[in-house]
Amino acid sequence: MKEPFARWFAGAWAVFEKDLRLELRNRHAAGMLLMFVPASILLIFFSAGQEPLSPRIQAGLLWVVILFAASIGLGRSFVSETDRDTALFLRMHARASMVYAGKLLFNFLLILALDVVAVLTMTLLLHLQVAHGGLLASAILLGSLGLAGATTLLAALIAQAATRGPLLPVLLFPLLVPLLLSAATATRHALAGGDGWGASAESLTTLTAFAGVAITAATLLFDFIWND
Amino acid sequence: MPVSGKTYRRIRNIVLAWLTLVALAGFLLDIPRINILEHTARNLYFHVPMWFTMMAAFFVSAWRSGQYLGSRDPLRDTQALEAARVGAAFGVLGLATGIVWARFTWYVGQGIWWNFDPKQTMAAVQLLIYGAYFTLRSSVEEPEKRGRIAAVYNLFAAACVPFLLYALPRQMDSLHPGAEGNPAFSDITHPTMRVVFYAAVIGFIGLFWVFYTQRVRLATLKERVEDAFRT
Repeated sequence: MKEPFARWFAGAWAVFEKDLRLELRNRHAAGMLLMFVPASILLIFFSAGQEPLSPRIQAGLLWVVILFAASIGLGRSFVSETDRDTALFLRMHARASMVYAGKLLFNFLLILALDVVAVLTMTLLLHLQVAHGGLLASAILLGSLGLAGATTLLAALIAQAATRGPLLPVLLFPLLVPLLLSAATATRHALAGGDGWGASAESLTTLTAFAGVAITAATLLFDFIWND
Repeated sequence: MPVSGKTYRRIRNIVLAWLTLVALAGFLLDIPRINILEHTARNLYFHVPMWFTMMAAFFVSAWRSGQYLGSRDPLRDTQALEAARVGAAFGVLGLATGIVWARFTWYVGQGIWWNFDPKQTMAAVQLLIYGAYFTLRSSVEEPEKRGRIAAVYNLFAAACVPFLLYALPRQMDSLHPGAEGNPAFSDITHPTMRVVFYAAVIGFIGLFWVFYTQRVRLATLKERVEDAFRT
């Protein structure tokens, strides 16, 4: 029983390693995210002026920046396979669930890197003050997991469509409303202080459940996109 | 195969007669006058069934999408698309009747049209998903691929949307009956109103069936004509 799982894991890890190596070689996604996140936070800074922002607005802005950056940066993860004509090769060597798991892991790490940049830039420019560091980390971790699960499936989906440009945000945002609501609430409690963990227990539960359901449904449905 | 013409016409006639009776009963029967609501309470017969119908359409569409992924029968894809189209139309009507109703009861004197009520927000999100579904369909040319991709998106949306039921009410207050501090629907309703309301729900779901079946039959016929010209 152990053998097939070990082989599956090795396959998924190989897909992840391939993506990581390609990324380290040309730094396409990382470079774009590193530019996009500070640029959008600077725009917020310029348009909001010197006005101090309340934790509610800071939490909302943080997640809007993360969602937009993810929907722009992660759209390429499958388009690049189709563009370079490597999709068929990948299809021959790995099962659909391996490809999904490998890409999911890579996208998840990319989103985490983006989160770190976003939080650091916001602390620097918008005076983000964190009352519960652990709570902020859990909210961001769980939210990013659900975000990665949904984005990876939809990125594979738009790689098959003819017009790829602005399609991913259109498909992604309506689905992520529950994630955005819970993540922004938990983040707000982490910033505002007080009884942070108790007040955001429900939001964290929702985030965990959302990530679980999104990844499960995506794994089941990915077969139909990948093996046509 | 789509529904036969005979069955379709028979059920259509029943639905039209039924809805005529519902409309007459809805406007003519006496209802209790509640302060502020007054005669607008009659909107219950039209506004609420729109949501029931939209939810029914949503389930039909997701169910047909699942069937398409299993069978790859083009008819299933057509059914999923038409159920979504008719469902979106009912959603717009539900939103419109709700906005007008809220404007002259809840927000009377305040001049507000849109206030983020959980149910209203959920309807707006559902309409956005329908919009995304149609946009996605229009960006793929090949019918087989289009059906497959659209079905995957439809089912994935069906998995994500129920979280709104849990997440939204904790974020914003509701004025809808059944929310905190408001009596539930069953506590305030007069027996006559309840009978007419249930009849209206059945009637509007029947109307959905009529539109949906008619559109599926039309799409199938168009397909057949195009095939005949091609060969």
